[in-house]
Amino acid sequence: MQIQVRSFARIREAIGGDLIVEVPDGAPLARLLAVVGDVSEEAQNALFEENGELKGYVILMRNGKRVRQGDIDALALADGDEIALFPPVAGG
Amino acid sequence: MLTERERERYRRQIPLFGEAGQQRLGKARVAVVGAGGLGCPAALYLAAAGIGEIRLVDPDRVERSNLNRQVLHHEGDVGRPKVASAAEKLLAQNPGLTVSVRHAAIDEKNAEDLIGDADIVVDAVDDFATRYLLNRAALAKGIPLVHGAVSGFDGQVTTVLPGRTACLRCIFPVPPPKESVPVVGATAGVVGLIQANEVIKYVTGTGDPLKGRLLLWDGRSASTVLLSVERQEDCADCGSGAHR
Repeated sequence: MQIQVRSFARIREAIGGDLIVEVPDGAPLARLLAVVGDVSEEAQNALFEENGELKGYVILMRNGKRVRQGDIDALALADGDEIALFPPVAGG
Repeated sequence: MLTERERERYRRQIPLFGEAGQQRLGKARVAVVGAGGLGCPAALYLAAAGIGEIRLVDPDRVERSNLNRQVLHHEGDVGRPKVASAAEKLLAQNPGLTVSVRHAAIDEKNAEDLIGDADIVVDAVDDFATRYLLNRAALAKGIPLVHGAVSGFDGQVTTVLPGRTACLRCIFPVPPPKESVPVVGATAGVVGLIQANEVIKYVTGTGDPLKGRLLLWDGRSASTVLLSVERQEDCADCGSGAHR
């Protein structure tokens, strides 16, 4: 199935733009994130800590609704879902 | 009642919200926390709009490297407290304004005092530790908070209405790292002015506040996106996880 991945700010720069990602039917969000991380070293570093954990401040949205990081292993995606990845910025 | 001078000064905006709206602006007290990249443009446009009192809070002094984006500070201000430099320019823009300044850092003890009896708070600080303090103080006092932040060509804005909408901690439960990132002055200008616009809307009761919505600004593509954000029942600051 196909999942659209939108990204913002530093994550977008690291990934290079919006993506359409192919994952197996019923794959959890964590699986999709791993595929996105494999796009490039920059994408990996933008999304994941060195120990492989998703960076705690990355905000995840599925079809416009917030997904908690604790739910990424359990949340099964559906064909056509749109996932948004957003790193908050902090400067002022 | 507006004076004749005020009617003339605000003639081009009074049709948008009436003399009553202009009077509300004139009575409003706005705390602008941070007199840097966001606080400078936000405070300048609030002053120009006829806000009655701006309370500026910032612990820093002007450095030359601030001048690409902190537009109230000029070359000759390097070394001065930012609040003094900013207050001088704001009063030059609009002598009808009252500016009170606090050359101080926000901490756990003084946060509620520093935002004081403001009607609304502009978050123009540059790290999330300070933002969480502001968030908690604004929640405790029931004062709306207009959040803004920038990095590079990117920015974000949201308006928190305490107890009614997602607070800063609901939206950002884990702080992004504090980093000395490059920023284009125009990015801070765009975001700071969206914050000023939120304040003007709130005070005059015009339009829809950015409540429950996070606006993302991408200056590279000149595009904005609105993400829906919801209150989190277990939020550490406004939900069941709060210790107050």
